[in-house]
Amino acid sequence: MIAIAGPNLPHDLLRASGRYAGPLPYDPDRDAPTAARWLESKFAPWAPPAVEAWAKGEYDGLEHVLFSRADDTSQRVYYYLCELQRQGLLGGPRPMILDVAKIDRPSSLERTIAKVRELMTALAVTPDALERSIVETNRLRSLPPPVPSSAVCLLSGTAPPDERMHAAIRAAGFAPVGRTLAEDWADLGQAVEENSGDPAAAVGRQLHARKGGPRSFADPAAALARAIEKNRAAAVVLWRIEEDEAQTWQLPAERQMLQHSGVPSLVLTRRDWRGRDGVFDEIREFLAGVTA
Amino acid sequence: MSASVNQRSHNVLACTRDATAYQKAFGQELRRRVVDEQEPFAIVQADTPHEIFHAMDIPIITNQWWSAYISAKQLSARYFDALVEAGYPANSCKYCSLGLACTLANDPETAPWGGLPKPTVLVARLTCDCIQHVFGQWAQALDSEFFPMEAPAWVEKDPRWYAKARTEWEHVYQPDRIAQMVREMEELIALLEKRTGRTFDEEKFHHLMEQINVQEGYIWEAAQAIGQARPCPVSIAEQMPNTMIPQWHRGSEWAVAHARRFRDEVMERIGQGLGASSNERIRLMWIGAGVWHDPGFYQALEESLGAVFVWSMYMPFAGPAYIRDLHGRPMEALASRVASMNETLHLPPWMNGWMTAEAERCGIDAAVMLLPPDNRLSQSGTKLTALALEDAGVPVLMIDADMVDAKIWDHDRMVTMVADFLKTKGLA
Repeated sequence: MIAIAGPNLPHDLLRASGRYAGPLPYDPDRDAPTAARWLESKFAPWAPPAVEAWAKGEYDGLEHVLFSRADDTSQRVYYYLCELQRQGLLGGPRPMILDVAKIDRPSSLERTIAKVRELMTALAVTPDALERSIVETNRLRSLPPPVPSSAVCLLSGTAPPDERMHAAIRAAGFAPVGRTLAEDWADLGQAVEENSGDPAAAVGRQLHARKGGPRSFADPAAALARAIEKNRAAAVVLWRIEEDEAQTWQLPAERQMLQHSGVPSLVLTRRDWRGRDGVFDEIREFLAGVTA
Repeated sequence: MSASVNQRSHNVLACTRDATAYQKAFGQELRRRVVDEQEPFAIVQADTPHEIFHAMDIPIITNQWWSAYISAKQLSARYFDALVEAGYPANSCKYCSLGLACTLANDPETAPWGGLPKPTVLVARLTCDCIQHVFGQWAQALDSEFFPMEAPAWVEKDPRWYAKARTEWEHVYQPDRIAQMVREMEELIALLEKRTGRTFDEEKFHHLMEQINVQEGYIWEAAQAIGQARPCPVSIAEQMPNTMIPQWHRGSEWAVAHARRFRDEVMERIGQGLGASSNERIRLMWIGAGVWHDPGFYQALEESLGAVFVWSMYMPFAGPAYIRDLHGRPMEALASRVASMNETLHLPPWMNGWMTAEAERCGIDAAVMLLPPDNRLSQSGTKLTALALEDAGVPVLMIDADMVDAKIWDHDRMVTMVADFLKTKGLA
């Protein structure tokens, strides 16, 4: 079985392998004393508990874990795990990395496609199996999203570890819209071209073009504006954690966009990923004001 | 503000003064070309192919050099405050963003050179997640264009890469990564030719690559000698400018001549038995970027404890990172140089593999490691390297500080911390 630990990965291909185990599970609240010996403080906070679980043998049932070059923590953890395994300090599944290149340039697109082909070979997926998987995965992509039962509060910024932020929004009477980290990694993205004659290239094109994530060249403020409009959001919580070093550079543009939108917003930066800093009370108070 | 006044370093080599003077004059010449003459120029990261610009005679301002320049003028705190006033979080990555901060502060009265004019292009490799955001916004603020370069994954992981980099670079740095970078460099050349009207001369480029080998060969020779010499003839406070300043001008007549002169002066001191300290007892390794705002830090314990910083990455890096047997393929050789510069310094197994070998080569007694609190890239690989060094019998002190942010640096406190560490480890 193969799990994933990062965004912007080829779900159609993973599903075609018949061995896809989904996002790597971990307990965000666990202490990670072993991982702390190896990882520095600025890693995204999912990394220490995941590496701790790895060290404790909790992933031994997996054959591979696929990391992504489209996310800095994901790619660095890949190198650390490979080295720890080389030194005999870790066992567990074999780390792999998909070298997704995101620059809008033919050489980057071709590199991404080449790496998809290499992964196909590594996972023994045939072009026919991939084509069938593309059709099936596109069917999943086309399923309509759930209709919110109350006013929407958009949760934007850093993807939270689980539904704890969503629960706070729900408790205030709003319908939360925003992905957890696992949902972000598992997101299928836009439809992949069917019957292209070259399914690996079709998957590569989709990965290369995907918007969102730290390596995307898309305008995040514009994306936020689109999300507000699409979801008819009544409120926005823009939440970024201390370790967020990439998208945080878009904060001034996002603040400006929120101000122009007129939608009530709560902007929280340098926050605790686990939510131990009073964030749930702040959300409740903010949304109480919106309700009023 | 730091609680104690940062200190200048003292020099024992004549060439150090000349290197500094050359760089100062170069700064004035660069300013003349870029600001007064309004020549086309580029803002580039340190780990980009400067050789292309040199071969095309296009002036470049290296982001790290510009950051150090701003920092040396004690302006970093002011500009980081301006970044926060502009709405960025105070913990944003410092090292690569000081130039952007200076541009956004938009204060020609205080900015070096009155602030940078519009460059032809900004170039950066995407070695971490914030680079493309910083450079993208900087390009926007300067009304210019950003040319990003991929930093592809590297799955051929050889911890002894440094021993093979010169001759077996095609294999060590992975053929597909080299090919990727060559394509990007060709696109960069096309863009530069179109925007500047200057042409890329392959013969000139080939000669430049050969001259860089000569230059870095001198530096590498001196690094080898310093590793073996007891006492260490020059501390890193002098190794760094004599390596880096010529490296900013790599392949030029002056740079080659200066590297040779530096080597000769080092050899002369070794021949005379002269040391950076009159009483060398402890050989230290500095891991991390230079603390540009307090160069005197490195020499503070030379006389009192006989503790000499013998090693920093800049000088010994000249061998494995720069020297390449060209094999008639200079562009590919350059790609192999550029494609992994950052990775070898910040990722396992390359970082820990190399630094552990270097500690052994140089007879290091202890290492001091910089751990910038807000910079994942600069932090990266440090813990595994510290563990590897300690396994090899080299105790490591990790310092939470930033190489350009003087606000969190206190000269006296840092020096005391190192002294206490050496005493605790029974070395002093």
